[in-house]
Amino acid sequence: MRLLLTLACIGAVVPALGQNLPTAATAPSAVPAAHPWYRPTHLVLQTAGGMGMVAGGVGYTLLHDRLEADVLVGYVPEKHAGSTLGVGTFKVLYTPYSVRLNDKLQLRPLTFGVYVTHTRGVINDGEPNQYYDGYYWFSRNTRLGPLLGSRLTYGYKSVAHPERQKRVSAYYELGSNDLYLVTYFSNANRKALSPIDILTLGLGVKLDF
Amino acid sequence: MSFSTLLGRRWIGGAAMLALLSSCELLEFNPNAHNGSGDQTDLTAKNLARLAANPLPPGDTLRFVFTGDSQRFYEYNERLVASVNQQPGISLLVVAGDISDFGMAREMRLVAERLNKLKVPYLTVIGNHDQVGNGREAYQHVFGPLNYSFVYGETKFTFIDTNSREYNFNGRIPDVPWLQQQVSNLQGAKRQVVMSHVPPQDDDFDKQLTPAYTRALATAPKMVFELNGHRHSYSIGQPFNDGVTYINSHAFERDQYVILTVWNDANDQPKFRLKTVTF
Repeated sequence: MRLLLTLACIGAVVPALGQNLPTAATAPSAVPAAHPWYRPTHLVLQTAGGMGMVAGGVGYTLLHDRLEADVLVGYVPEKHAGSTLGVGTFKVLYTPYSVRLNDKLQLRPLTFGVYVTHTRGVINDGEPNQYYDGYYWFSRNTRLGPLLGSRLTYGYKSVAHPERQKRVSAYYELGSNDLYLVTYFSNANRKALSPIDILTLGLGVKLDF
Repeated sequence: MSFSTLLGRRWIGGAAMLALLSSCELLEFNPNAHNGSGDQTDLTAKNLARLAANPLPPGDTLRFVFTGDSQRFYEYNERLVASVNQQPGISLLVVAGDISDFGMAREMRLVAERLNKLKVPYLTVIGNHDQVGNGREAYQHVFGPLNYSFVYGETKFTFIDTNSREYNFNGRIPDVPWLQQQVSNLQGAKRQVVMSHVPPQDDDFDKQLTPAYTRALATAPKMVFELNGHRHSYSIGQPFNDGVTYINSHAFERDQYVILTVWNDANDQPKFRLKTVTF
């Protein structure tokens, strides 16, 4: 059910990409044919953050470089989870402002957004008739949560297409998920738990082209 | 400072940073993964070693705390630990399963962090919530075996996984042949206790195995009682009218735990006394 919801979210965003990209400021001088709307604007490589030991994917930039929608596929080896996990992630990030440090360097002090992960390969994911309805109220394989991070970007001119600027960014994202948040905000746990107890950290690089 | 020293320092700094990050629980690969454990691993073995290092003199009565279902009740967990640390003459604390709520290693570690502040060793048995998702693997990584036994204070403890529903009633959980083997051999102890999460009269216990399981307990020598959790409410009785007493624990959220004292009487028959403590 949540997977369907995730797909619906992706479906809702993809048409919007087509409407917004032509006006995007990221590549104002780019020849439209060279960058059709369906072609991703960046590649992502990430570790942790609940999205896999290694996760890679593609994404789109919208709204004058302020909004991004990324899709990642991640992997967790059996050694670290008891079974090999495949993690599909969809995340949407918003950057309200960025700071130009010099010709090449740009800092995004704040990016925030939401993510959904769907994990495959979970050992005890529930078989038909294993549990009666409502036995566990939560999903065992789909998590939803907020993200908050920063990013440092290095920009350089493309050799093949000098009119375009390529960018390499390094980022971190602090996140949490539905179950960790429920834990924190119930049973007077705010006194017993520190925010760090419910946080996750993801580290990654992004290549805009 | 020479350039090479600076480079060396940077390299060491970088390596330290990497080590820090790789042991950092924040860098969670997935909620179902158990990477980044640091020292929160093999806790059952560690607690058994602590117990073995502090033997009870022969003939002494054994007093221990019995509780269950710590899941997600961190605030209660801290108060329970503070209360248990005030109790005199306690040798250990046992938790009748459901350490976690969602079967996640992070939860198990958050509970363990708090239970590690107990003055006495603590031992756990796996609960159904600890088997959600990849919880069974996380439990084995953080705590240890699903079925195990030990002798302390002339008492044999047998802890067994009775969460049949988590295996979709495959007919092998609980492992009755293993239980029979354990309870038939006292290994020099004068009495014995069995603990599991799901009680045998519960719907989550494999009904095909209930007769064999309860018979194993009823025919075992010097059985004091079986301890269970799962129901979040205290009860004591002999539901199978076979002479075996079953005690269900308070959950952490119930502000109560039980102190059990066990000894053998003049006829070498096991006896127990039960005291409820409110915290």
